[in-house]
Amino acid sequence: MKGVAMIVVTIREAILRGTLIFYFAVGNIIVAFVAFAIKASPDGSAVLVFGNPIPAKSLMGISPVDFLLIQLQRSSTSAIMFLGIFAVAGLIPSMLEKGTAELYLSKPLSRTSLFLSRSFGATIAIALNILYFALVIWALFGIKLGVWHSGFLLSCLMVAIAFAFYFSVVAFTSLLTRSQGFAIMLGFVFWFLSSALETREYGIYKLWDNQVYHRILDILYYATPQISGMLENATRLIGRNPFDRMLGPQATADFTIMPFVYSLLSASAIYALAARYFSKQDY
Amino acid sequence: MTIVETQGLSKTFRAGVFKKGQIEALRDVSLSVEAGEIFGLLGPNGAGKTTFVKILLSISHPTIGVARVFGHKLGALSIRQKSGYLPENHRYPQFLTGLQTLLLFGNLHGLKGPILKGKAQSLLQRVGLKDWMNIKIKRYSKGMLQRLGMAQALLNDPELLFLDEPTDGVDPVGRKEIRDVLKGLKAHGATIFLNSHLLSEVELICDRVAILNKGQVLRVGTISEITAPQLEYEIQLESAISERLSETIRSIVREAHANDRVLRVAVPDKHVLNHVLDAIRKEGILIESVVPRRASLEDYFIKVLQSGEGT
Repeated sequence: MKGVAMIVVTIREAILRGTLIFYFAVGNIIVAFVAFAIKASPDGSAVLVFGNPIPAKSLMGISPVDFLLIQLQRSSTSAIMFLGIFAVAGLIPSMLEKGTAELYLSKPLSRTSLFLSRSFGATIAIALNILYFALVIWALFGIKLGVWHSGFLLSCLMVAIAFAFYFSVVAFTSLLTRSQGFAIMLGFVFWFLSSALETREYGIYKLWDNQVYHRILDILYYATPQISGMLENATRLIGRNPFDRMLGPQATADFTIMPFVYSLLSASAIYALAARYFSKQDY
Repeated sequence: MTIVETQGLSKTFRAGVFKKGQIEALRDVSLSVEAGEIFGLLGPNGAGKTTFVKILLSISHPTIGVARVFGHKLGALSIRQKSGYLPENHRYPQFLTGLQTLLLFGNLHGLKGPILKGKAQSLLQRVGLKDWMNIKIKRYSKGMLQRLGMAQALLNDPELLFLDEPTDGVDPVGRKEIRDVLKGLKAHGATIFLNSHLLSEVELICDRVAILNKGQVLRVGTISEITAPQLEYEIQLESAISERLSETIRSIVREAHANDRVLRVAVPDKHVLNHVLDAIRKEGILIESVVPRRASLEDYFIKVLQSGEGT
């Protein structure tokens, strides 16, 4: 009950800060753009984008609907993650401001519950937006093209879960720095680090041919949420992703749950560490 | 029954870029607060009053020392369940109304439903914010926020109430209302711990006080115990005293202030007072009146701090 109250007030704060409204508005602009751009050909045999059929060469052997949804998901997940962090990164520092922290910490609620319910509130605020966005796009494709693509819905659910794991890093850094700006910056740095770690065998491994260095990168990869891995695999739930070959010749194009499992473990460890740190601090 | 008991409580903050500097906020503080009393913790800004309360509520942690509240070790949730707290410079979520603020903090206390709503509305009425309960608190004045803070601290019918500068920013009428609320709570058996540097306020309502300076407790006792050792008299004379007489009086008593025809002396007992009166008469000056003057808490407080104790 106490934790639920904290989650509710966190979501309300996120809405009233305006950043979540902006986030919601951006999602609706994308939805409106999609609604305007796509339609089925009069005979129902092809998908038209701005009145033109998608060139067969671009499809790389996949269906036009899969192609469009994959394109849409790939291009919007970056915005979802970046704007999502921007929208809710300030929620933990605002709880720790002088005069506010004392009020929350003097209530009969453990610091772990307080921190976790605040973090969950922030995550739920973004997840609800993502799921709203997913449902509207899914309905649009169903109504306009007659394709009710359940894989897309599942894929968006996985994106929301990926955000929740990603937010663990931002929550911890905002707890450490008590600054929204630092939390956002470090969140973005971590995003790029995660992308580099995902493809480390074809990229940053080659910077230094040293086994110790390679093992350190491996440890970092498994000890932190695998953002890129989760998003790539979320895309694979829509259909075979023609962009998978960019990951390298040995990369598999099949969906695997493992990045989510590793990320669940690392996010849990990060939250546990953060809760431990929070319980020791003076306010 | 002892509600709050601390023994050798100390708190050292690390400061500076590399946390090498040390600030001793509390030094070996041992205090006890009995059930049903209003206890005042006095001290100048930076004395450690807020740190002390924060430690009791586990908002900060002591460096060394032990403390028990309601017989529980620090950190027990039951302490916060039974306590109310009005922090200094509190900040509420600006997007909430007064009523919503109380509902939120009531929820965090485990209260809910119509009982909580009724309680919140009645408290807002009690602190004079009934007409403002549905207005966002970003429109509230400082005094109104302080009243809201008071209502927030009373939501759970606390057995122990911590108030940090509760009348800060409140007008005289509001101060009287807050004093009345505190007296009402005391009458219902609540224990009140009051941090303040408004000594006249403390003098009006506290049963016992402690004076804290630079993290150290300098005095503890009732107001009369603390101020009684000082016998002060105001002597009205018919004519102004000479420099020679002033020097004579200063040789008899440590503290004497002459201002035209008024002489103020602090004496250890009445025999010394009579020596002073004899010296005045010997100079041929007529005495118009001798009025005993009880030192105020403020006089005593300033005297204790100026004496350099606790440094």
